[in-house]
Amino acid sequence: MSITNDFEYVKPKSLAETLKILVKNKNAMVLAGGTDLVGSLKERTVAPDLVIDIKGLKELKKIEKKGGAIHIGALVTFSELIESKLVGKRMPVLVEISKKVASVGIRNRATFIGNICSAVPCLDSGPVLVAMGGFVHVKSRLRTRKIPAEKWFIHARKTARKPGELVIGASIPLPREKNGACYIKLGRYQGEDLAQASVFVHLSLKNKIPLYQIAFGSVAPVPRRAHRIEKALNGRKLNHELVTEARNLVASVVTPITDIRATREYRLLMCEVMLERALLAAQERLNGRGPAYGVNLI
Amino acid sequence: MSGYKYIGKSTVRVDGKVKISGAAQYIDDLEFGPGLLFAEIVESPHAYARIKKIDCSKALKVEGVVKIVTGKEFPYRFGLYMHDRYIFAQDHVRFVGEQVGAVIARTPEIAKRASKLVRVDYEVLEPVLDVVTALLDNAPLIHPELGKYQHVPWFFPEKNTNIAHFRKVRKGNMNEGFKEADYIFEDTYTVPRYAHCSIETHGAVGLFDHSRRLTVWAASQSPHTQRHLFAEALAPLGIKHKDVRVIAPHVGGGFGGKAGVSMEILAASLATAVQGSPVKVLWSRAQEFYNTYQRQGVVAKMRFGVKNDGTITALEQKLYWDAGAYVEYGANVVNAAGLSATGPYRIPNVYIDSVCVYTNLPPGGPYRGFGYSEFLFGLESHMNEIAKKLKLDPVDFRRKNAICEGDTLNYGGKMNPSGLLECIDKVAKEIEWGKKRVSKDPRKAIGKGFALFWKAPAMPPNAASSAFLKFNEDASLNILVSAMEIGQGFLTVMAQIAGEVLGIPPEKIRVETPDTDRNPYEWQTVASHITWSTGNAVKKAAMDAREQIFDIASRALGKDRNSFYLEDETLKSRTEPEFALSLKNFVINGIMMKDGTFRGGPIIGRGMFMPEFASAISDPQTSQGGKPNVHYTVGASAIEIEIDRETGKITIPKVVLGVDCGKVLNPDLLRGQVTGGMLQGLATVLYEEMRFDSKGKLLNANFTDYKIPTAMDVPDEIVSIFVEHEQPDGPFGARGVGEHTMIPAAPIIANAIEDALGIRIKSMPITAEKIALALKGLDLPQASRAEPPVCFQKTST
Repeated sequence: MSITNDFEYVKPKSLAETLKILVKNKNAMVLAGGTDLVGSLKERTVAPDLVIDIKGLKELKKIEKKGGAIHIGALVTFSELIESKLVGKRMPVLVEISKKVASVGIRNRATFIGNICSAVPCLDSGPVLVAMGGFVHVKSRLRTRKIPAEKWFIHARKTARKPGELVIGASIPLPREKNGACYIKLGRYQGEDLAQASVFVHLSLKNKIPLYQIAFGSVAPVPRRAHRIEKALNGRKLNHELVTEARNLVASVVTPITDIRATREYRLLMCEVMLERALLAAQERLNGRGPAYGVNLI
Repeated sequence: MSGYKYIGKSTVRVDGKVKISGAAQYIDDLEFGPGLLFAEIVESPHAYARIKKIDCSKALKVEGVVKIVTGKEFPYRFGLYMHDRYIFAQDHVRFVGEQVGAVIARTPEIAKRASKLVRVDYEVLEPVLDVVTALLDNAPLIHPELGKYQHVPWFFPEKNTNIAHFRKVRKGNMNEGFKEADYIFEDTYTVPRYAHCSIETHGAVGLFDHSRRLTVWAASQSPHTQRHLFAEALAPLGIKHKDVRVIAPHVGGGFGGKAGVSMEILAASLATAVQGSPVKVLWSRAQEFYNTYQRQGVVAKMRFGVKNDGTITALEQKLYWDAGAYVEYGANVVNAAGLSATGPYRIPNVYIDSVCVYTNLPPGGPYRGFGYSEFLFGLESHMNEIAKKLKLDPVDFRRKNAICEGDTLNYGGKMNPSGLLECIDKVAKEIEWGKKRVSKDPRKAIGKGFALFWKAPAMPPNAASSAFLKFNEDASLNILVSAMEIGQGFLTVMAQIAGEVLGIPPEKIRVETPDTDRNPYEWQTVASHITWSTGNAVKKAAMDAREQIFDIASRALGKDRNSFYLEDETLKSRTEPEFALSLKNFVINGIMMKDGTFRGGPIIGRGMFMPEFASAISDPQTSQGGKPNVHYTVGASAIEIEIDRETGKITIPKVVLGVDCGKVLNPDLLRGQVTGGMLQGLATVLYEEMRFDSKGKLLNANFTDYKIPTAMDVPDEIVSIFVEHEQPDGPFGARGVGEHTMIPAAPIIANAIEDALGIRIKSMPITAEKIALALKGLDLPQASRAEPPVCFQKTST
C-alpha cells in the first residue's frame, strides 16, 4: 500500500530550527521512528501538510541518569532500551517492557516517546510511566514544560501536548532502595501482539516499609494507575490474603471494554490474574530471586 | 528396501537456490516498462445494495487517470463450477468490498486518489449475514436469477431460495439404523470463516496487445483454468482460447486461495479496456482478506446411533454452509464435504445434507482441507463425547469403527488400500495414549487429544494433467508441466519421478513454473492431487522418452530392445554387461551409422493422465452410483497440551500425525508438509477467526487482529509417522497428502481440552479467552451463534 497524500518533508539540523518550523506549521507531524506515522499515512487516517523528521537531532538520542531519574530522549528506540547498560542495571523492568513491544524489526525503529505520543490505550510504555510518577518533557520556542505522566494521557490518542510543542523526552524516577518490578502483557498468542490487557507493578522498601506502584494498560482509555490498590497495600507485607484483597479491588480500578481483541469479562479476569502474578514476581525479584526480567509469566 | 534410486529419498528442492538467492521473481517483481498502468478498485461499502448511479466525472478529471471502467463495460458472468459471479457488480452489490468499478491510471497513487472520487449512489438493502436468516421462508433472495445460472451437472440449486446447491447422501436406511442403536447422541458444532493468509497477496497484470492477444501474468495455482475462464468470460469480445496466454511466476503461498479465478479476472478484463498497455492489479493485505475466497463457515448438526459395544449403526449429519455472495467455487466444497461427512468410519446407514447457502458475506471458496477440516471438528469432537458416555476408550472406539480397504463408501464405491489401523496404533503409541502426566505447576492441566482424518481430492472426474519432457545435449532434462509449486515441493518430486524412470539424477532436471503457451494442460494445483495426477503424467512422459531411446538404439545398433535399461545417464543391456552407451551421445543428435547417416533425433517425451474411472453422475436424491472420488488418504493424529487454568493459554509439548500417503516420494518435503499443515490447522482452532460487524463488514482484515502463528507458537515437538500402503494407480504408489496435515488439528485440540479440563467447547476457535471464561462458567458472547431452524425429524424432499 502506498501513501497517496502529498506532503512536504523537512529534516532540521537543530532543536531550535525544529521548534521554529513546528510553531509555523499547524498541520505538521513529527517523524521519529515512523512505525505509527507511516502506517497512518498509508491508511489516510492522518494527512499532514508537513512531516518534520527529527532523526537529525542527536541530542535526543540519549539515555541518561540525571537527578535521580532515568531520562529517555525522544529518539531512543526500544532496542536501545533493551541494550542499554544503565537501564539493565538500574531499571531492568524497562527491558522487560521493551521486549514485549511488537517484534525485533519494529523495536529497532520505534521509540519510547513515539509510543507515548501516539497514546493508544494498549501502549506498553504508559503503565510504567504513570505508576512510577514519571514526567514527559516538552519544549516549544518560548517555554519548557515538565508534565506528570498521569496528566499527559488525556484520552485515547489524546495527550497534553499543545501545538508548537515537541516532546524531547521522558524521565522516570529511579527507586532509591531495594526494589523489584514486573510487567505482564496479555496477548492472543506468543507472537507480537497489541496488549489485550497489561499490568505494571513496582515494589520497593522504604525504611523496610513496602511501597507499591501499580498501573494497568488496555483496560481504560489511558494507562490507569491503581491508586486504590496501592493505598490498600502500602505498608503491608505481601501474602496470600493481601493478594486476594488486591485482586478484589481490580474491578474498581479498571474500566475495560469489549472489542475485537477481548471481552470486558476476560480483561477483568486477566487483570486480576496478572496482578497476582506481577505482585508475586516483583516481590521475588526484590528478594533477589524470582524469574529473570523478560521471562514470560503468562 | 524399495530398490529405487531417487524415489523415497530426501532430494533437495530443485527450486531452493532460486528462492534463497532472491533470483525467483514473483508477480510484483516483474518489469513491464514505463507504459505500465495501475488499477485501483472502487469497492462497495455495503453488504447488500442496489446501485442507483455511478458518477465518474470528478475522478476522470484527475491528471494521470487513463480510464474508468464499471459493470457497464463488462456485463458478463463467470465461474468455475457455476456461473454466478460478475467481473464488476451489475445492478446489485452483494458483499462489502465487492468491485463496482476500477480506475486505471499512470501510478498506483493517482489511481487510488481518483478511486475515492468515484461517486456511487446506492439504495442500501437489508443484508443476509447468516445461514439462519438466509434459509427463512421470507428471506430476501440474494440471487433471484439462480434458476438460470449455468452449472456443472452434479450441482442441485433450488431456485427461488438462497440454496445454491443441496448435496444429499443416503446410504442404507437411517431409521432402521437408529432403531438398531442402543443410544442416540445429538449435537451441534459451529466453525467460522477463515482466511488463507498467503504471505504474497494476489496480483495480476494483463496485456491486450494490438493484435488482440491477451496475456495475463498472475500469482496463480491454476494457469490453465484461468486461461479457460478468461476465454469463456471474454468470449463476447471475440477472444479465443488460443489468444489467451497465462504466465505464472513463482508464488508466495496458495492454500487454495489462488485457485480458480477471483481478482485475476480484473487484470484480464481491464487490459481489454486499455489495449496496448499492460495494467496491474495488486491486492493490498486488506483486500486479500475481504475480496478473495474465504474458507466457509459451517453449522453442523449431527446425530449418531451407537450400540452398547460401540458399533456405530447410523449417522445423520446436516451441514449448513455460509458460502457467501458467490459460490462458483465454494459450492464444490459443500459438495465434497457432503460426500465424505461420515469421516473415515464404516457406517452402514447414512443420511447427509450438505447445504450451500448464499449470504451477503464475501465469497467462500477453496481452502486447504476443502470442507473436511470444518466437518471433522464437529464429528471428531462428537466421537469423543460418545466414547465418554459409553465409557469406551476414544481410540478403541475409533479403531472399532475405522474404515478399511473394501468397505462401502458413502456413495457406494469401495474404499481404496488404507493403513488407517496402523496409523491409529502408531500414533497412539507415540503419544503414549492412556498414560496421564501431571504438571509440576499446579496452575497447569495436561490433556491428550486424538482424532482420525480422511480426505479425497475434490475435482471434476475428468481433471487431467499432462507433461512434456525434453532431453538436452548433455542428457539433462527440461520438464514442462503446468501445475504450480506453491511450497509443497512439487517441482522436486517431478524431477525425482522422471529421474527414476530415466536414470537421470534430479539435479540434472529442470522443472519450472508454467506459461500456458508453452506448457501442456493441467487442470489446477488443488485437491492434493498433483503429485498423484501430474506425477502420473510425468512418469508416462518419462516412459515415452525411454521407449523412444530403446527404439532408436535398437534400430541403430540392431540389439534386442527388451534387454535395454537405463542407469546412471547411460543405456545398458541386461544381456551384454559390457554394453554402455552414454545418453548424452545420442538423445539430441542420434546415433551415427557406418555410412555416416544418423538414426534418431531429439527425444521428447509426452505424458497425459486422466482418471478414466471417475464419474460425478449419481442419483441426486441419494448420491449412490458414480465414483466422484479417486481415492481417500487417511490417518490419525494426537496431541498433548498444557493449559493454564487461570488464563486458558495452551502450550503444546508434542503433536503427532500419522498418514498413509501410499508411498513417500520425498520424506523431508513430506515432513515439511506435516509441520506447515499442523501449524496452519492449530492456528485455526487456537486464535484465527474472521469477525464481521452487524452490517457485514470484516473487522479484522489485517494481521493486527487476525493472528497467524509465528515461530514462537510452534509446538515443542512435531512427530511425523508415514505408513505406506501403495495406491495402485499412483506414481510409485503415491497418493495425495498436502491438505491432510491440517485437517485433524481442530478436534485434537478440542478433545485434549476436554481431557484436561472436562469442558467441551463446540465452536471454533477455542481461544484462551473462551477457555478461561468457560472455566468460570461464563459464555463468550460471540461464541453463541444461532442455529439453523431446521427440524431434525423432517426429512426434506
